[in-house]
Amino acid sequence: MTFKKKLIEHLLSLILITSLLGTFLYFTIENKNIQNTQKNERIEPYLGLSFIDFDNPFDRALLLDVLNTYKPGQQSAHESLIKTIEQYRKTNLIEGMEEAYRKEQLSSKKWQQLSMMYAKFILIYIFVMILTYYGVQTFGILRFIRKQQNRKSHLLSFFQQLVTKPKYKRFKDYLNYYLQTILHLLKSIVIALAYFILFAPAYVIAYSLKTQLNTNTIFFMIILAVISNGLLITYTNKFYTFLVTESRKGYVQTAIVKNLNMSYKRTQKSAINYASIFNVRKHFPMHVFQHIYINARYQYLQTIKEQASFLISGLIIIEMALNIQGHFSYELLKQLLYKNYDIVTVIILGIFYIVKLTEIFTDWLTYKESIKYENVEPVGAK
Amino acid sequence: MRNVLLKIKQYSIYIYSQKDKFWLIVWLGILAITFIWNILFLNKPALRLIIDGFLNTLYISILVVIFSFILGWIIGLVVVRFESSPFQLPYFLLTFVLNLIRSIPQIVGILIGYIGITYLITANIVNNAWLIMTTMALVISLFIFNEVIDLIRERINHFKKLDFYNAMKVCGISENRIINFDILWKNSRIHILNKLIAIFGSAIFLQCTIDFIVSVGLSTQVSAVSLPTTLGSLLAKIDSKQDILAIGNTLMNPSYFSHIFFEHLQGVTVAFLIVFTLLSVYKISNGFSERNRL
Amino acid sequence: MSNTGLNINISDGDRTLVHIDNFSFSTNKITFLFGESGIGKSMISKAVYGLLDPDELQIKINNKAYQSYLNLPVTRQIKQNGFFVFQEPSSHLNPLLKIEDQLNEGAIDENLDEKSILQYLWDTSDDTAIKKIVDIYPRPYRPSGGEKQRILLAMAFKKINFALQNSDSSSSNLFVFDEPTGSLDNHFRNLFLQLLFDKFNQKSFTSLFITHDYSIISWIMQHHKNMMDHIDFKELSRIDSTKVKLEYFAPDQYLNWLNNIKKATVQSAETGTSKSEVLTINKHFHIYDRAYTIYSDPEFKQPSDLHINKGEMVYLKAGSGVGKTTLAKIIMGLQLADQFEFEISGLNLSDQTKLKLWKKFIWGKKIGMVFQHADEALNLEANVKESLDGLKSKKLRGDFLR
Repeated sequence: MTFKKKLIEHLLSLILITSLLGTFLYFTIENKNIQNTQKNERIEPYLGLSFIDFDNPFDRALLLDVLNTYKPGQQSAHESLIKTIEQYRKTNLIEGMEEAYRKEQLSSKKWQQLSMMYAKFILIYIFVMILTYYGVQTFGILRFIRKQQNRKSHLLSFFQQLVTKPKYKRFKDYLNYYLQTILHLLKSIVIALAYFILFAPAYVIAYSLKTQLNTNTIFFMIILAVISNGLLITYTNKFYTFLVTESRKGYVQTAIVKNLNMSYKRTQKSAINYASIFNVRKHFPMHVFQHIYINARYQYLQTIKEQASFLISGLIIIEMALNIQGHFSYELLKQLLYKNYDIVTVIILGIFYIVKLTEIFTDWLTYKESIKYENVEPVGAK
Repeated sequence: MRNVLLKIKQYSIYIYSQKDKFWLIVWLGILAITFIWNILFLNKPALRLIIDGFLNTLYISILVVIFSFILGWIIGLVVVRFESSPFQLPYFLLTFVLNLIRSIPQIVGILIGYIGITYLITANIVNNAWLIMTTMALVISLFIFNEVIDLIRERINHFKKLDFYNAMKVCGISENRIINFDILWKNSRIHILNKLIAIFGSAIFLQCTIDFIVSVGLSTQVSAVSLPTTLGSLLAKIDSKQDILAIGNTLMNPSYFSHIFFEHLQGVTVAFLIVFTLLSVYKISNGFSERNRL
Repeated sequence: MSNTGLNINISDGDRTLVHIDNFSFSTNKITFLFGESGIGKSMISKAVYGLLDPDELQIKINNKAYQSYLNLPVTRQIKQNGFFVFQEPSSHLNPLLKIEDQLNEGAIDENLDEKSILQYLWDTSDDTAIKKIVDIYPRPYRPSGGEKQRILLAMAFKKINFALQNSDSSSSNLFVFDEPTGSLDNHFRNLFLQLLFDKFNQKSFTSLFITHDYSIISWIMQHHKNMMDHIDFKELSRIDSTKVKLEYFAPDQYLNWLNNIKKATVQSAETGTSKSEVLTINKHFHIYDRAYTIYSDPEFKQPSDLHINKGEMVYLKAGSGVGKTTLAKIIMGLQLADQFEFEISGLNLSDQTKLKLWKKFIWGKKIGMVFQHADEALNLEANVKESLDGLKSKKLRGDFLR
């Protein structure tokens, strides 16, 4: 499918969802107004009389007399009206206090509040997206290199060293040997802990740290969004799979027979060193891995869409589960609870727009890259 | 005796080399140890809740896998059929709807679905616990099954590009058989199985999360409605949350570490079951891909 | 390597893929290695060159672990000084790097007379034609298979030039060409062989040339008989399902056998009766914005429909990329043409015909087609019975295999 077709499809879904939710929003607001009007229709004219103090029994009696005088023969109806006004004012006072807190309208103040929250949400989203994009590639490469180095797991090394009885002459050698064994154990514990954090849902991590840290800060949210909910580990694994798949392709063998460096030992001089792995713009000159990396990176572009959706879900989870006041998704949950469906609709629409814009951006990025590799002449070029 | 030890060693090496089987054994083993520990140190009502929560979570997740598989397979085939048809409108409409579902963050979609479920419960349309859990599974799978469709389409389109598809077609072999038997069963069942393992993990994560959010955030709305106990809803209970807070406590006060496994067992067990199951499913899926060179 | 043969065993888990005792070839000679498809020529050559992955396959050479073979100084020298031209050119070029960049990296990232090699292999002195090819990213359809193959050959020749310039006579080298002429027509094949022999005559090197193309023998005997002292012909044959053996192949005997083959005489069943037409293809057809015309004369002056009668066998011969397979696929309904018309056994079909018609009347009934690449055209995960079980005709189903 060409980019143009994809763009049309994206725009159509944007229009469709906007119209659907827009219509829903319109009817929700209308419904709210009608309910309020129906409730007050009978007593509304009297409530507006500024010269009558309904708290004063004399004023109430005066109103009854006036009504009986101007509309004679309806005495019981007038008494019921006064009672209704009394009842309404009583319940309205109690409910009003609650309702004032719960029921909200899409006023300009609310729009302003929502816009601020939305901007905050987008900002966090962009930060987390950039960090995970970098993290996924960096950790994916580290894992791939580790695999190429045929490194054993620390736990296995620990057990093997524990079972093997070394034959040394000096005590110092024995000490070194067992220190190394303990080091393997410690490393495996750290790795296990890291795995637990990476797979833990955000709320598990956040609740366990709630007494130690202020978990409501944006900084904490960003860190949490990057490392928790399995986001980083899932997409690192995806990138790693691309690297493994690409490493089995024929062009890698051609690169090998051209004598490109194929050693994965990390040395200062080697192209595979920490500086190149952790660099934002990763480059591995004269190394077979450069071929593998550029192909894996290209394939990964298509996954960004999926990653973005996963990430947004993660952010929503964090904001909702941690009840972080003043954040977009918490607001969604709160408004769902208070049944303010007009505000709910606006928030959902906002989230949908972010997903769609990310999809359009990813498709454009992939298209831009692909036309280069497809040998397509840029429009206007001779 | 030596022979037995040698055999055990050889078998262990064999199992360790097949990481999916190794992690399946590790998962079940650790679950068994956790269960025994809880029998010894956790009070009976809490233990009952944890067992119920875990089994309900497993039941819902397995159902999500089954529903996603059935929906994904059927709709995947329909999409492929529409895709190759000269009349492209049905294909456009179907992919449009599928892409629309994809664009709704899973958690938002499932949350809205859960509100629907609470309505069904309050209206007394759905009242049996098994039926409620089945409906919950159906809602979750509606936002996951796209993954199965993508895989099925990718596999079929890959094989369609090869001469293999055309070669069978010109022999007069029906397209249904080529797609279902030759492509999906013979050449893709391992890929599909691997996807289903991953979906099982996603289902556990989403279900625990949504139950946690619903229990914490929508408690007043949903409290009138009794949803079945799951690991997520158990974690949202105030005593479980306090147990988890105790984990953080040990960072500043390491001597408190030993208390966690006795005094805060309910919350810690629930959190551990969720995280360890997610980790194990990931490892099993990875090991499976590695063993089958996917 | 010339005197001591290698015992090679390659297995995948419990399954032995190939086993050969005493695999040897002479140093500083070109060895042409023949053998049936799937016998393990490529795998054995990759094992010798040191390209197999010991983590994926269990390989033993001379009963020792593959890693110890890889660590031998001679193996290291082979990899350092040699080159391996792989069988499938498409998958052996990086799709995300320009061909020009791929021609200039690693050991071949030097001025190694690239221009003249490319000009020779393309049989042109026109720089722009070459520039057009090297300035693009390799995609499935562009450059063509033959051009990709020549790119890989150019890399090999650059490495040969490098070896000619740099290596001393004592260091080992090995240039493996795995089916290097599979995508080339005879003209370009001969150009490549000519260049190979020219380079060899400048300074000898060791080369292993894997091929199915026995017609190379006749060409060498006709044009390069003087090279025979530097050439070995060997053939791999099966001992059993996994064991293979290597034997010398006598080119003279082969050519004699070829000359003595009696011309097959075709006895048409239709002799004496009037010709009955099976297939008629309209002289004009149009596909991918290109118009094609069928001519009945070698001068391409008389457009004419193509008629194929019952009992006839038609040999369609054309250069690579002209559209032979495309024509077959259009007839089979596998490729949509912009304009096309043909008649088969009284059934008229055209570009307007719906696909259903092929499904109903043609596939498995009137026409069959054998595809080019066996590996791609077969379901590698199904056995023969399972593959045949899908056929509509009960007689043809796999039950008879029981």
